[in-house]
Amino acid sequence: MKRVLSVVLATVLALSLAACSNAQTQATTTPATTAAPTTTAAPETTKAPETEPAAPKVDLQILYEQDNSMINTYTLMCVNPDAPFVDADGKEVKDVALNTIGAEALINFLLSEEGEKLAAGYGYEEYGEYLFYLLDDAPVSRAEIPAATEETKQIRLSTTTSVKDSGLLGYIIPIFEEKYGYSIEVYSAGTGKSIANAKMGNADLILVHAKSQEEDFVSAGFAKKLDNMEKERMSFMYNFFVLCGPFLDPVGVKECATVKDAFKKIADEKAVFISRGDGSGTHTKELSLWPEELGIKAEPESFAKYTDWYTSANAGMGVCLTMAEEMGGYILSDKATYLTFRANGGIMQ
Amino acid sequence: MKTAFAKAIELILSGSPELLNILATTARMSLSSSLIALLLGVPIGILYGAVRFPGRTPLVVINRTLTGMPPVVCGLLFYLLFSGVGPFGKMKLLFTVKLMIIAQVVLITPIVIGSMETFVSGIAAPVRETAKGLGFNGVRTFFLLANESVYQIFSSYLMAFARAIAEVGAVSMVGGAIAWKTNVMTTAIMQYTNMGNFSLGIALGIILLTISLLVNIAVTLLQGRLSS
Repeated sequence: MKRVLSVVLATVLALSLAACSNAQTQATTTPATTAAPTTTAAPETTKAPETEPAAPKVDLQILYEQDNSMINTYTLMCVNPDAPFVDADGKEVKDVALNTIGAEALINFLLSEEGEKLAAGYGYEEYGEYLFYLLDDAPVSRAEIPAATEETKQIRLSTTTSVKDSGLLGYIIPIFEEKYGYSIEVYSAGTGKSIANAKMGNADLILVHAKSQEEDFVSAGFAKKLDNMEKERMSFMYNFFVLCGPFLDPVGVKECATVKDAFKKIADEKAVFISRGDGSGTHTKELSLWPEELGIKAEPESFAKYTDWYTSANAGMGVCLTMAEEMGGYILSDKATYLTFRANGGIMQ
Repeated sequence: MKTAFAKAIELILSGSPELLNILATTARMSLSSSLIALLLGVPIGILYGAVRFPGRTPLVVINRTLTGMPPVVCGLLFYLLFSGVGPFGKMKLLFTVKLMIIAQVVLITPIVIGSMETFVSGIAAPVRETAKGLGFNGVRTFFLLANESVYQIFSSYLMAFARAIAEVGAVSMVGGAIAWKTNVMTTAIMQYTNMGNFSLGIALGIILLTISLLVNIAVTLLQGRLSS
């Protein structure tokens, strides 16, 4: 009995030691890969770094933003219950069970004056800036929202990681749930996977950000037009994608006139670039920014020639940002996730 | 600097309702799936180990193959079957803990069967001799074998539990990592990693290992008591 206990104690101790030393080595190796002075990476020493304009703790910085071709538009769509659903074998499937009433209720709330005010006001407290802006032509709903019933209570929202990880949904949804009695299940993945999930009949509505994929979704008949709306695609808020890279910007993308020039420069100089490579909205946007003659597409063959600098990570935004930080590479990110990443100190808190 | 370990302790002490919910879901899922797998796997394992019936060898080979089933493939299979467009879509089981348990049972039972089969093959001959000498029928021989394998049953259970609690491929597919509903420790760690919040991920990992350790201690003590 005593022996068992001592083994237990030893294991816990070893574990904790491993965890601590792991944390420390990770934190100290970060600046070693960069040009930043090591002192700034030891936050336990002083409280000063907050006031001193020293080199940043996170080497990865926003180098390019607010370019018109970097607009990141978020779109709501209600899944059509009469959509041409097919199963895994391509066979047609009728009467897939969807909660369209619930989906419409949530859409009407998000597009109501109250909902839009919430979305546009989010982020200032935590990040010092607003994370999402309302589109000038955002559709506004004045429809009455029905209270939840037993059948319409559960709403399944399939969405992209950025709106969830930025905390926006966690901020708005509880307000909606409390007011009308619904209960919302949020499934979050890259836009590609999120849309695929809806096409499999596993979502009542989607909130995504990749225009081309959204238009495919509509033209395939998967989106339902709400009676009080003009279009199936209800684009209502936006922010900007940001081009991030090492603090010292070795390629000099900051001086470029447009973001497309910046991407051309990265390709010309063969600077390390981390691509999401996962069919997400961010990945879709990145593909549209490369010079056309390079022919970089989603298919792996299209960038086989560029593997010495083009890294297709096939991973989530946070993982890719960490990779870019470690490898001193450039990366396209949605702003909200980058700010969360920076707030978390990049690697380790 | 706060280390991940300090963070883990802080997290537990804070008693954050979300963490508690994740812990409860994890416990419910891994305990249920490992117990069901044990109940299914032990009798089949003893049968495979002790009885030489026609078709036994192919069954054992199939079972050994299933032991190596990648969790993500198992998850994908259940995702397709229980999707809205799948044949069982009407049951509305996708993204529920129930389906996570079912997927895990499919994943884990072969491990229990394999572990029991290997052990029972070794002791079957002498035990059968004894049973014959005592004039036992088939059912009583089965219980005699089970009684002789108590130690192995506990070890098999621990293997099953370890696989269940540590597994992420299948549960993230069929569970969808939905907050307050199907998010378990492993999927939460993945989420935090994706958000670049590694220290919280490691903190959760430490909690997970500690739970696993406690379960192992409890079962090992029980094993010593019951099999001596």
